[in-house]
This record gives sequence, structure tokens and C-alpha cells, in this order.
Amino acid sequence: MTPILADNAVHRSRTQRQSVLKQIMAMPAGAIFLVFMTLQIVCIAGALLYPNEFRYLSPQNLTILMKAIPVLGCLALGAGVLMIAGEFDLSIGSVYTFTAVLMASLVGAGVSAFLAAPLGIVTGLLIGLLNGQITIRFGLPSFIVTLGGLLFWRGAVLLYNGAVQVRFDPEPVFTSLFSGTLFGINAAFIWIVLLVVGFHFLLHRHRFGNHVFATGGNRAAAEAIGINTRRVKLIAFAVAGGMAAMAGILATARVGSVQPGQGAGLELQAIAACVIGGLSLRGGRGSIIGIFLGVLLIHTITDVLLLLRAPGFYLDMFIATLIVLAAIFNHLIERRGVA
Amino acid sequence: MSNLLELHNISKSFGALTALRNLSFHIGEGEVVGLLGDNGAGKSTTVNLISGIHKPTEGYLSVDGKKTLFTCRSDSADAGIETIYQHTALVDSLSITRNIFMGRELTDRFGLLRQSEMREITMEVLQNAVHISGIDSPDTLVGNLSGGQKQAVAIARAVHFKKRILLLDEPTSALSVRETEALLNQVLKLKAENVSSVLVTHNIYHAYQVCDRFVIMSHGTKVFDVDKADTTINQLTEYVVLN
Repeated sequence: MTPILADNAVHRSRTQRQSVLKQIMAMPAGAIFLVFMTLQIVCIAGALLYPNEFRYLSPQNLTILMKAIPVLGCLALGAGVLMIAGEFDLSIGSVYTFTAVLMASLVGAGVSAFLAAPLGIVTGLLIGLLNGQITIRFGLPSFIVTLGGLLFWRGAVLLYNGAVQVRFDPEPVFTSLFSGTLFGINAAFIWIVLLVVGFHFLLHRHRFGNHVFATGGNRAAAEAIGINTRRVKLIAFAVAGGMAAMAGILATARVGSVQPGQGAGLELQAIAACVIGGLSLRGGRGSIIGIFLGVLLIHTITDVLLLLRAPGFYLDMFIATLIVLAAIFNHLIERRGVA
Repeated sequence: MSNLLELHNISKSFGALTALRNLSFHIGEGEVVGLLGDNGAGKSTTVNLISGIHKPTEGYLSVDGKKTLFTCRSDSADAGIETIYQHTALVDSLSITRNIFMGRELTDRFGLLRQSEMREITMEVLQNAVHISGIDSPDTLVGNLSGGQKQAVAIARAVHFKKRILLLDEPTSALSVRETEALLNQVLKLKAENVSSVLVTHNIYHAYQVCDRFVIMSHGTKVFDVDKADTTINQLTEYVVLN
């Protein structure tokens, strides 16, 4: 029996000799971090060399980026936690629109936004719980159940308010709280940073997070040790729904209105961000930092292509390629059993 | 030697199917029992019953002579019984530390994990409680371990949480020869520390190496219960095959 402490010491000195690159690659989300940093360096260098042609560093562009990131960020955080627990939610795009329409129409009817917004979040949580109940109660694939949810809540938006946009006129305090600026930084961006930090602690430093990883990684083992995996999954479904509603609040506060079709396709972008960020489609693997980097990467690439005036279809093709490459990469890592 | 766990005339039916019929046996303190039988003899149902996943249709279990009813997995864990299933013991995508404390995390009052403390305990458990070679650090992902190392981690977990009975379900079926030796030695070492084990297995030879007593099942009931001193491998094989 070799003492583990000594082994560990040898191991440490060996890693110290490894290059910084390898150390970063060994960290969770290390690879995506490298890709992201490389892209940033290229973009910043390009912007410094050609300040008039490539306005990546212009204040307008940075503001657009900061405003765009939080909405997808919220959706991806919720979808990501659920994916790590081993389930999917395809309905979050529709739930995002439905809760936003609900909130905006309540405010239109004279309800305070400070009451309407929490109501929207509660509605999102309840829809998530319903998805979870149906999935777990009947042992169905969540893919099918939430595909139903996607269509149902998309229809519900039209039933509730018709195919017209809803104006959102909340109290000015509410608007500045969710889309104002603090020290030049967009409020929604501050929200998403706080949420990322909160989710990081919940998932990587809290008991609940350990149960989420255990449930998604090996449900039978988690159950055998006494973890209530049904409850863990239900909570994860609720989080996905609640974060969809939160995304709705941020988007609506920014634009000042809700379009009935605005959430279409967002659920797939959120799942894409998670896959790019290193989450396994089978559950049990991934990190919050990875999810956030996935969101940042999608928006940076979108932004760069827009700045280069590339036609819209390039965007989809580029993101599509990125998703498949990320999935291949994750699969290779999983087979090696690392990360 | 007092009886840690006793099964009293237990029957278990699933609808029209009777899986166990009038099954009684006991496990003593510091005793290693081999639960043998061919496929379909009712071994798995017995394991699930002892670990609290199934409830008996008739009959009852007693722990330390007191009648008990296990309604779920954690009831049996509270009674000091740890079941180590072949494929469902650990989560591959989590580290050794996180696996050992899975479901029983050390946390502060907000539920935040006390990570360095759990890590230190894991290092100590891996060093002292079980002898696993080739593990660098408690942060190693369980998915990177071999079958034998995984089982050793599962046993380390049971030892750390002071379990009195280890229920090992087909423990050697996926192990190499050397890993099997290590596992069987582990069982004997635990026995010296007064931890009982139940080896549920097909493999009479492995069982014969370490068990003090053999319980042979067939068609849902016990057909033979014998001390090692009073039997031979040939006799055990006959009972497993012929019944």
C-alpha cells in the first residue's frame, strides 16, 4: 500500500511541470474557455487593427452584447441544470413567451410590475413542475413531454392574447432595475452575472448540486444511497421553467413589448449553449461556467458575423457546426472518462 | 455469536408470481455468509428485501432480535446494512470524494459543502480502511477506476459510515483474478473488525474461500444451510445444481 499523500505529492509536482495549456484543458470547461479566449484575442486584435471596419470594441457594440447575453443566459442556466439532472425541456422558449405575455398584460391591466413579475416566475415554476410531474409520473421521455409543452404554451399565448404584440409599461423603477445601467454596465448583465454566481454555488458547492449530478450521472446509484431522485428532477424542471420566466422579464423590460412569436427556437439555442459548454446529453456532466461560456460564445460569434455583415444564414450554419464539433469533442472526453 | 439480522418465514409475491416462499435464515455478528443459488432462485429478491427495496408479503425481519420493517433503502442503511450492487453503487462522473459522501454530504447550516474536510476524510479512508493501489487522489473521477477499485471505493464508503453488514451482490463477476483476491481479502479484514458480509454469488469457489457458512436457495426458498466445516465444494455444487 503506497500512502496516498505521497502519491498525491508526486502527482502535484508532475502537474506543475505540465504546461499551463494542459492544466487549463484539464479543468472543467477548460477547453471551451480556451476557445473563447482565443476568439476574444482575435476579435480585440482585429478591432484594434481595423477600428473603423470592425467595430467590435465600440461602446454601441459592447452594449448590444451585454443586452443580448442575459436572456439566452437565463434560459441556458435553467435548461443546463435540468440537463445535468438527466432531462430535457423543449418548452422553455414557449414558456418564456407565455409568462412574458402574462406579465405584460397584467401590468397593462393596472397591476404593479413588482407583483406581475413574481407572478410570471411562479407561473414558470408551476409549468416546469407540471412537465416534471408528467415525465416522472408516467416514466416518459422528457423530450416528448416538453415537445408537447412547446406546442401547448405556444398555442396558449395566442389563445390568451391573440397574435398581437403586448406593450409593457411598468413603473420606471422596475425598468431601471432590469434594463438600466450601473457604472456603465447594463442591469440585465449584472443580473445574469449574479445568477451565474448563484447557480455555481448551488450546483458545485451545495448539497443539492451534488444530488443533481448524482441523479443525472447514475440514477440507480443515487437512489440506492437514499437520494430522492424524483424530487431532485422535479426541482430541476421547476428551475428550468422559472428561469424561462426570468428570461422573459429581462427581455420584456429591455424591449418594452412582447411579440407572440419571440421565443421560437430559443430553447434549441439554450440547449446548444449547454452542449457547447460541455454538458453531456446523457446527464451527470457539466459546469455552470461552461454553460455561461457557451452562451457568451454563441453571442460573440453572432455579433462578429453581424459586424462583418455576413448574411443571416451563415449564422445558423456557423452555430450548427459549433454544436456538432462541441458534441464530438465532449463525446471523446467522455470516452476517455475525463472531465 | 448473536444474530445481527434474521429473516423469519418470509414470503414475497409479485402478483401471481411467488418469488420467495417461507424463507428463514440469519446472519451472525462478524460472520461471512455465502448466499448461493442458480439464476431465478430468489437471491436478488432476497437482497432487495434486506436492503428495504421490497417489503415482505408475509413474515418479517429482525435486527438485533428486534422485529423491524424496512420501508425504504435508508431504513436498512440506518440499521447498519449497506448493499453494494455491481453496477449501481457509484456515479462515474463524480470524484471519489463526492461518491463517498453522496447523499450524506458534510455541510454547513446553509447546505454548502465542507469540501476540504470531506476530501481529507476520503484520503484517510482510502489509506487506512481499504487498500486500493493506483489511486492518485480523492479527486479522481470514479469513471477512471477499474472494476476492483470501484468496488473498493464502495466498500470504503460502507466502512466509513460504520456499517455492520455488507451485502455484496455478485461482487466478483466483473473482476480480474487479482482484483478478486483483493476483494476477498478485504472481506476477511472487515470480518476481523467484526463487520459481517453476505456474498450473493454464483461462484461457489469464491464463496468457499472466505465464507463461514452457506445458505443455498432454490425456487424461492432455502434448501441448505451449512457451516463450512461440515461441507465440501462438491456437496455445495450438488445442492446448487440439483435443486
